[in-house]
Amino acid sequence: MVSNVTYLANVVHPVQLGILISIYFFYTGLSAGSFVLSSLGTVFGIQKYKPIAKAGVIMAVALLAIAPLHLIGDLEQPQRFYTLFFRLNPHSAISYGTFLLTLYPLNSLIYGWFLFRRDFATGAQELTGFRRVLYKFLSFGKMDLSKAALAKDAKIAKFLGTLGVPLALMVHGYTGFILADIQARALWHTGLMPLIFLMSAMVSGTGLLILVLMFSQRFLSPERTITPERKSLLLDIAQLMMWFIVVDATLMVIDFIMLYFDNVAGHAAAKLFLYGSHRTMFLGVEVGLGLLIPFIITLLPKTRKSLGWIGFASVLTLIGVIAMRINFVIGGQQIPLSADTLNPYTADPKHLIMIGIFALLEITILYLAFRFLPVYGLPKEKVQTEL
Amino acid sequence: MTEKKRRWAMVIDLRKCVGCNACTVSCKIENNVPEGVYRTWVKEIEKGDYPQVTRFRLPRLCNHCDNAPCLAACPVQATYRTEDGAILIDYDHCIGCKYCMAACPYDARFINPVRKTAEKCTFCYHRVEEGLLPACVTTCVGGARVFGNINDPESLVAKLVANNPVQVLKPEMNTQPYVFYIGADQNIMGARYDNLEKGEQ
Ligand code: SF4
Ligand code: SF4
Repeated sequence: MVSNVTYLANVVHPVQLGILISIYFFYTGLSAGSFVLSSLGTVFGIQKYKPIAKAGVIMAVALLAIAPLHLIGDLEQPQRFYTLFFRLNPHSAISYGTFLLTLYPLNSLIYGWFLFRRDFATGAQELTGFRRVLYKFLSFGKMDLSKAALAKDAKIAKFLGTLGVPLALMVHGYTGFILADIQARALWHTGLMPLIFLMSAMVSGTGLLILVLMFSQRFLSPERTITPERKSLLLDIAQLMMWFIVVDATLMVIDFIMLYFDNVAGHAAAKLFLYGSHRTMFLGVEVGLGLLIPFIITLLPKTRKSLGWIGFASVLTLIGVIAMRINFVIGGQQIPLSADTLNPYTADPKHLIMIGIFALLEITILYLAFRFLPVYGLPKEKVQTEL
Repeated sequence: MTEKKRRWAMVIDLRKCVGCNACTVSCKIENNVPEGVYRTWVKEIEKGDYPQVTRFRLPRLCNHCDNAPCLAACPVQATYRTEDGAILIDYDHCIGCKYCMAACPYDARFINPVRKTAEKCTFCYHRVEEGLLPACVTTCVGGARVFGNINDPESLVAKLVANNPVQVLKPEMNTQPYVFYIGADQNIMGARYDNLEKGEQ
């Protein structure tokens, strides 16, 4: 290739899909991850994970309720978003996503209801005050607590959960396809992309679940404490997280080896991430903070038995996966298509404000759900004196 | 022989392009394109070392691809293809998701900051429908830009494509562009990756 070429005139093409889309991918990943963890007990029948089924489904629903707001917020014509439901394009990943993003939270919601119905019905009969009214309403009048009725609940929950697992995988797999389908962008155009997105979803979903469990068990559960059984389950989930990290990292290594030996654009992308200006975000934050350190923490016998360390590792995985979403979404568009320098990106302050508001909304929803729903069973008599 | 369907195409003979940007300006005026964004522009490079040095130019626009990734990407069918092969955007239905802009391998699309929808070159479809030529073609000082029905063997575009070695941009993307270049230098046709971060260092 001729090296003495100078660009004199060209038009700058800034990155289009920015931080809102990256964070949207982060939320859907968290949701899909928590749903799969919720299903381990109910669908796959692994008894020890039964206690987290409800927490998992609440997170799955609450996260997916907020996730699409990021997408709508990113539209230039947000008021036209509903046309996505009927002006379909069978070639566009986004058209499929529209329905997945609708069906999956609905299915999760109904699945969750069947997990909670027993507590709603019991609570409506045994509790007093505000919770009695709330649970009575939420039980929708289905008060039957006979063995047969409960067995039926479990059966339906299992069925919906079984449906939910592929839906969760598809919801997050499709976000991978949004990128993978785009041949123009060397960093995105790989069959590994949906798998990488799924595995990083599992890593971050587990990370957030651990944190939410720790906080809610300590401060919001009827016992207000992390009992020894809960602790051992948390440590167990952390071990799951370690294996998710291993698979995620393996996929990432494969992806970058392929990219390194790819065509000129792919090779440039690999170089940018491995030793160019994106190496801090990629090797430092995404890989180092987000995968390597949590892996070490969950591996070493001393740290993997400590809730403090596990919590720290979970925070790191979240930071790492946010970095991953940003690196891939924005970084992928920075590799130029017609220029000789990286395409510029500046985050729109409006978008940053939206992300902040959505995050606050998310935290509020999660707090209210864990505070008022019988995630850890019904409150004991104490409640009656309290209310 | 049955007559083939009309298919609009453009040939840009780079031997005749002087890099005056008259096309850039006329397009802006004709299509009311706001500041900072372009439906067509002229890319320019310099190759070689003094005294062996030459400038090369490449007028750029939407390629109205036959296999258009932007068309596949658009989730609300706001991007569509006309009977005669032009790729257009329905501004009343575009939701501004920008997915087409990620999908186009040619940087042809942008968001119109005033209308808040995706936008790009239309081959001046409003003019062509009236039997006129695209604005850039009529203003092209060197006569480098030629427009017409490539399926009509008598048209100038068909003759130019038949009688010259022509190039399209990024053929490996399988987009099947309908903007053909004569005399394009490979160093200007895509991106250059050898020193991506020079601006930042
Ligand atoms: S050049 Fe880009 S915008 Fe134009 S038709 Fe091809 S893919 Fe679509
Ligand atoms: S920005 Fe408009 S034209 Fe482009 S894909 Fe989205 S809806 Fe379609």
